[in-house]
Amino acid sequence: MTYSLLSGLRVLEIGSMISAPYCGKLLADAGASVVKIEPPGLGEDARRYGPWPDDVPHPERSGLYLYLNTNKEGITANLDTPTGRAILRELSTKSDVVVHNVPPADMDRLGLDYDVLAGGNPQLVMASISPWGLSGPWRDYKAYDINLAAAGGICEGLGAADREPLTFGTPEVGYFAGMAAASSIVMALLGRETHGGQHIDIAEAETMAGLYNGPEALMAVYEWRVTRRTGHHALDFPYPNCILRCKDGHIFVGSPEGRQWRRLMEIMGNPDWSQEQRFRNRTAMNNLYADEVDGYVEAWLADYTKAELLEIALENRIPLAPVRTYEEVRSDPSLADLFVVIERDDTGPVAYPGTPYRLPAMDASNPRPAPTLGQHNRAILCDELGYSAADLVKLYQTGII
Amino acid sequence: MVELSNSDNKDAEARPGVLNGYRVLDFGWVLAGALPGMVLADMGAEVIKVETRQRLDYMRLGRPIVGDQPDPEQNPMFHNVNRGKLSVTLNIAEPDAVELAKRLAARSDVVIENFSPGVMDRLGLGYEALRAIKPDIIMASISSTGQEGPLRDLRAYAPSIGSLSGLDSTMGYEGGGPLGLKHAFGDICGALHAVFAISSALFHRNRTGRGQYIDVSMLRATVATQGVGLMEQALTGRSLQPRGNYDPTMAPYGNYPCAGEDTWVSIAVKSEAEWRSLVLAMGSPAWADDQRFGSQYRRQRHRRELDALLSRWTALHEPDAITDLLQSHGVAAAPVLGAEERLFHPHFMARGLYSDTEHPALGAEPVFNLMWNLSKTPSNVRRHAPLLGEHNRDVLCGYLGLSEDELAELEERRVVY
Repeated sequence: MTYSLLSGLRVLEIGSMISAPYCGKLLADAGASVVKIEPPGLGEDARRYGPWPDDVPHPERSGLYLYLNTNKEGITANLDTPTGRAILRELSTKSDVVVHNVPPADMDRLGLDYDVLAGGNPQLVMASISPWGLSGPWRDYKAYDINLAAAGGICEGLGAADREPLTFGTPEVGYFAGMAAASSIVMALLGRETHGGQHIDIAEAETMAGLYNGPEALMAVYEWRVTRRTGHHALDFPYPNCILRCKDGHIFVGSPEGRQWRRLMEIMGNPDWSQEQRFRNRTAMNNLYADEVDGYVEAWLADYTKAELLEIALENRIPLAPVRTYEEVRSDPSLADLFVVIERDDTGPVAYPGTPYRLPAMDASNPRPAPTLGQHNRAILCDELGYSAADLVKLYQTGII
Repeated sequence: MVELSNSDNKDAEARPGVLNGYRVLDFGWVLAGALPGMVLADMGAEVIKVETRQRLDYMRLGRPIVGDQPDPEQNPMFHNVNRGKLSVTLNIAEPDAVELAKRLAARSDVVIENFSPGVMDRLGLGYEALRAIKPDIIMASISSTGQEGPLRDLRAYAPSIGSLSGLDSTMGYEGGGPLGLKHAFGDICGALHAVFAISSALFHRNRTGRGQYIDVSMLRATVATQGVGLMEQALTGRSLQPRGNYDPTMAPYGNYPCAGEDTWVSIAVKSEAEWRSLVLAMGSPAWADDQRFGSQYRRQRHRRELDALLSRWTALHEPDAITDLLQSHGVAAAPVLGAEERLFHPHFMARGLYSDTEHPALGAEPVFNLMWNLSKTPSNVRRHAPLLGEHNRDVLCGYLGLSEDELAELEERRVVY
């Protein structure tokens, strides 16, 4: 027998780009019924982010949108209009959860006032995801991924000393806010009988400066670990703890345990340099001589491919890990059952990453593709809310849906 | 010691948490295994950390803060990710300790572990064994690369996950090699997915009476966050390479040098309105009228020249001044903050992101707060990280009904150890 963890729950998502949509995706993939509300016309921003099949841009085929919105239903509503907000209110009375990432300054205008929405549904759980949170002096400051990474402590230690600090190669912060919101929502639902509905405030910057990176900030108080832009090396770890070149690409080489390092040296034939007195302390080796030692190790790595080095790692229980391209990630047989193939009329079959946690009997057998813009307007507005077909036409003609 | 926001943890244990009444038996250690229990404790669950002197949680070790002797009570990192928990020392290499662990599991809702795959089974504490004594138990195993499969036994640390997942493949300067992250992205990502799965499994159990075994791999969790890169590959066949600070929909997009040594401000401009506001905020310099920057398309095409010209302006000002100026014009900007700047940042301080907690070994020490702000039951650091075995008596005598003599005998035999 298969089952879903969250079946029967109704979630409304007003999400764009990553944070609220990933929250909605986690809930939807776990079996909740998630209805996504998008602005009519253009839809949400991820539809214009890409990438697109064969580089042909189209709002229905943006990869980021398609990935983050599987298993959801989609409707359109212009929340800038009273009628659009009335639709939101009507739907929220029939929902367990509302999640959104509308900026705090726009929440009231778009009808996302918790007290109003919970007025008709005191059990409502609403999660507001915003860059800086719903309080504090930066409440209304804007932010995109790099701004959150910069303030959240991601950038300060990434890059070379003589160049600009770096951020993630692709947007990542929103996933952490989405995870925080999804877990908080389910916890609020666990406590709903005792506490009733709740309004949840999740700040994207704090998911980085707190849970993700907080311990590191606090270590600085004790001057325990210093974060500086030292290229591919990190200070104060035993060497090696870095990405190096090999025959066909790059490989992470680590050896936090002494026996791992000794085994690695054995495999390399215990070269003379490894016996030198100045390399006895591997943290000093890392902090003082890393560039020099990189040269010795890379000379050995140059004879081996990433695949060969992975075999060596498995045989010898030493931590070598290929820096894989996305193509290599996709073709890893050990991840074959992570990817689920979903067919959409306009894209054909595409393999998407599925739920990253595994439950033996969870029903993930029939995943649905991301909705087209307004695909479920009739199903939700007519069948559930009781609008007539004529109403639907009028709502469309007047730019409400 | 720094003075952070007003700390008053005296009442913290009494404040209602949304998970009050749930009990978690937590074999998790180091980072990925410790974090889920920390989160659940901050949300009000009673979390019993099972650990042993026989093989200390690595995170307890490290350079001592006070004195020069190694001391398992002095690692502030450990204190951060284990606060709110109770500690019971059970040497689970001993069969009698396994029996005690099983008796605790019988009284728990959730069991968390991140030993190497197969260890819990060998100890007699695998899911089937626990289910036999507590049919609706929810057990979460967290590992680097999963409980099954060809990579199962790979020795992997946080950077390994960055490499294997594709995350590192785009992390670097354009035209250069991958540099790698210096954070435990995979640990945190795996831990957070575990928290979501555990919470959802509790929701399901409450409705159906059914328990669950959850297998969370840091690798899979990290891969799930690679939406842009994986979809690029699936839809165009291209694997992204390092591109520096780059976003396909924005220009300028980067970290720009400011007045002062090694100070930087991040600026990101997406819409035409934001660009016009940036130009206005800079005092409408002549270069901004250049045709090369006349549309978002052109700014993208000429982003290197744009970055160079923008840097000349940012270099004249402090990061905070630029941030406030640009934000007052509706342009996204924020300083690149160092650790100390984050700790004392007015916005984070106003919201209480970090606070002090009294720890018996180190006194007032800073901890980060989870900041899952549920309006009625916000997350909350409920107590300091436990001393090793601090709650042996409370838990083993209080819950399991052992006598003082029995406890003393178990300690003598290093079962409770």
